[in-house]
Amino acid sequence: MELRDINYNKSDYVETASGNKVCRQTVLCGSQNIILQGKVIVQSEAIIRGDLANVKTGRYCIISKEAVLRPPYKKFSKGVAFFPLTMGDHVYVGEKSLVNAAIVGNYVYIGKNCVIGRRCTLRDCCVIEDNTILAPETVVPPFTRYSGSPGSCIGDLPECQADLMVDFTRSYYQHFQPTKLI
Amino acid sequence: MSYIITPDIVRYACTCGLLKPISNLYFCRYCTQLRCSFCVCHEVDTNFCGKCSENIPSSEARVKKNRCGNCYICPCCEQELSTRIASTKTLSDTEDTKTTPKKMYYLSCQFCRWSSRDVGIPDQSTVTGGWPERENVHANQLQELVDMYKAIVLAQKQQQEKDKKKQRGKYLSYTDRTGVTAAALRKRIGLPAELTHPLLRSKPKEPEPAVAKTEVEKLPIELFTEPINLMDITTVDQRLLQPEAQPTTVDKLFPVHKQLSIKRTLRCKSCEHNVSKPEYNPSSVKFKIQLFAYYHIPEVRIVTVEPLRAGQSCELILKFTNPSQHQTTITILELNLEQQEVEEAEVAPSFDNMENLSLQEKQQMSLPSMLSQPSSLMSMSTRSPTITVKPRKISENVNCDVDVPSSTFILPPRDDAAEYDDSGDTHNIQDDTKLVKWRKSNKAYVKLNVTPKEDLGLNSDVVCGFTMQHVYTNTITGQMDKKEPQKYDHKVKVFLHLGKLVGSE
Amino acid sequence: MGLILLDSLPLHRIPCYGLKINMSRNSIKILPGALVCEESKLRGDITIGSGTIVHPRASIIAEAGPIIIGEYCLIEEQVRIVHRLPFDQRNKENSTPVLLIGSHNVFEVDCNVESPKIGSNNVFEAKCFVGNRVTVSDGCIIGAGCRLTEEQTLKDKMIIYGSRCQMREGLDKPQPQTLQIETLTKMLPNYHHIKKSNKKN
Repeated sequence: MELRDINYNKSDYVETASGNKVCRQTVLCGSQNIILQGKVIVQSEAIIRGDLANVKTGRYCIISKEAVLRPPYKKFSKGVAFFPLTMGDHVYVGEKSLVNAAIVGNYVYIGKNCVIGRRCTLRDCCVIEDNTILAPETVVPPFTRYSGSPGSCIGDLPECQADLMVDFTRSYYQHFQPTKLI
Repeated sequence: MSYIITPDIVRYACTCGLLKPISNLYFCRYCTQLRCSFCVCHEVDTNFCGKCSENIPSSEARVKKNRCGNCYICPCCEQELSTRIASTKTLSDTEDTKTTPKKMYYLSCQFCRWSSRDVGIPDQSTVTGGWPERENVHANQLQELVDMYKAIVLAQKQQQEKDKKKQRGKYLSYTDRTGVTAAALRKRIGLPAELTHPLLRSKPKEPEPAVAKTEVEKLPIELFTEPINLMDITTVDQRLLQPEAQPTTVDKLFPVHKQLSIKRTLRCKSCEHNVSKPEYNPSSVKFKIQLFAYYHIPEVRIVTVEPLRAGQSCELILKFTNPSQHQTTITILELNLEQQEVEEAEVAPSFDNMENLSLQEKQQMSLPSMLSQPSSLMSMSTRSPTITVKPRKISENVNCDVDVPSSTFILPPRDDAAEYDDSGDTHNIQDDTKLVKWRKSNKAYVKLNVTPKEDLGLNSDVVCGFTMQHVYTNTITGQMDKKEPQKYDHKVKVFLHLGKLVGSE
Repeated sequence: MGLILLDSLPLHRIPCYGLKINMSRNSIKILPGALVCEESKLRGDITIGSGTIVHPRASIIAEAGPIIIGEYCLIEEQVRIVHRLPFDQRNKENSTPVLLIGSHNVFEVDCNVESPKIGSNNVFEAKCFVGNRVTVSDGCIIGAGCRLTEEQTLKDKMIIYGSRCQMREGLDKPQPQTLQIETLTKMLPNYHHIKKSNKKN
């Protein structure tokens, strides 16, 4: 099914020179530590915790409503340090999902209402289905589909998944248009 | 979106007759046929561990029973275990010396908080562990069985070879010279007949067979008197995770080695060319060979459907995308399932011929191999036999007619730079405006009229189908005689789930 | 009298509690050493112990009575701690129950806790839900995404995990997150407006 247009209120969003569309009703803590590489959509009520550590996304990432990007912490003998959260290109994060991962690869799809536990590594080309709870420090290998609580591999993905995700995130960006006033 | 999470609403008929979304199909350029995962050979390319992302050679994988030597999963919830450093404060407190306390490690599950300390596994001094391995109580018996079956296999092989020798040397046998069979001769001499069956002769010592007991030990009385604490008892899943031990209580749960994952090569069954070959690196998502249908066959997507009413024509907008580097022309033809059967009938004999051919070939190959050079030819014939699968009938209940348009339309080649080009799409293509609504770079939005059948009930799924003929430009350089890329008309049947039928107003 | 009538209405979302709170005003007591971000939402009578960190976008709502949070608790974003009585216990007008939350509790992102009593050293993982009939003792872990709604008392060191809320008993209590709290107390004031403590020890 071809994507339908997703309309937003133009006054609610800020569009940067590199094509990022960021809703004004988001919580971007420590915005100097947040790098959005371009053509990234951050929708309303999303929270990005740049105050804890750097958060870097690639191009064509979609952060849906009420999603939380939160750099993970690691305990050392002397104290706790927060680690940067890096996200590749063409990543979709569904509504109300919490991403506490260390690395999210390219072409990753995270469904609605998921919990990506602390310091997880999501490799390129993987799909986390809706309502999945990934245990902390899980490594999700490429071309796998994870689901359930605790999240486990339930199948594999077609080899052309990368192109599917490129197509999906691009067309999402293209269809994400301000409501036209008539 | 459509291929990532939602059910597949547009499906293509593979050459074998199965319906698959385009993302799951392959396109063999050498046969110019669609292939799906059921009609290609799957070969294990590399073994790797999904957690540590390390390649493990197949020989090592076999020895380790396809499990990673370093990574463990939780016996309680099957999640990956992580190594933790034990707090060494207690140690240093007691020693109260300035020497650096020795780091100790234990395994812990971050999900259910199981830890190796729960079952009393002592902490280890190295990160990678050297975690104690559980010895299987039945290991010896299993090994004996394995040995026995290996010996049987060996004996059978020897027997086969002997048979072949017999065949070859049968003109030298006694029967030919004297007309007396070996068995008859044995009888005459007074020996028991056929005592030397090779299977029996070379049999290793047979393991002791399991004996059924009549006397069974009584169940412990506590089982009936003590209340059960469900938290101490393992679940079925936990037991099945360790089939050799099958622990009944949680204090016998021990960490399990993580199972390896594989990367696989896919090979077309009829021409033995690869259709998919991944790169060696486990975390790479690139391919050395990638003949996926998504890169060769035009993609069809539903854009909009008018409300479907039985017996009434309604408009359907489809989006066609040309993924290839060559211009193509698309013709929409009628879906003719009866014709397909005829085609099948025509095709089937040729398939049979091929089968015969390959059989003959094999026989020819195997004959000389016995005589002189057994190695190379033998290996070729045994490597991956050409298996031709008879196409099955397409099982799809098509209940909606498509008005086949009379005209065709052109799809320009894919141009990655076009994404950044905002100037208008002036391809100067003369389009039938009744058919093509609008187009953008390599995409065309096409209008079709479909009519659900009269007798359809409310809320029934409406399925329509058509045959899409497109010009496929083959760029294989292997064909010496033709320098120019060859063009084929390739036909593929496409089935669309349009949604539910609504009331007729 | 009017209030009682409202109380007996079947909808617990009815704004009567809001009314009541408005009448009894927000009274937030933040003890010295506690770190409460300005962007958090605190409603009703709430006392926050020293060393406790409240991240932005967390909400603590004292609907049915005061909430007293102990020391060194960690309350992350989108957490909802609501003091809301089960419906059948609401008509007891004369007693105002206090929700006591012990020390060293961790409330992770987007967890929803309505428990009437919470001990110490518990971890409420991300997106878990603990209903208002569940009493939590000490050292429990409620796993990510688990929903506890039935009336029960969690014994000490209980671990709830997985989609079917499996239970097991932990060997030790979860380690207190004092180190993380230390780091956060240093970091957060650089980025957020902090509510001033208004109570002397």
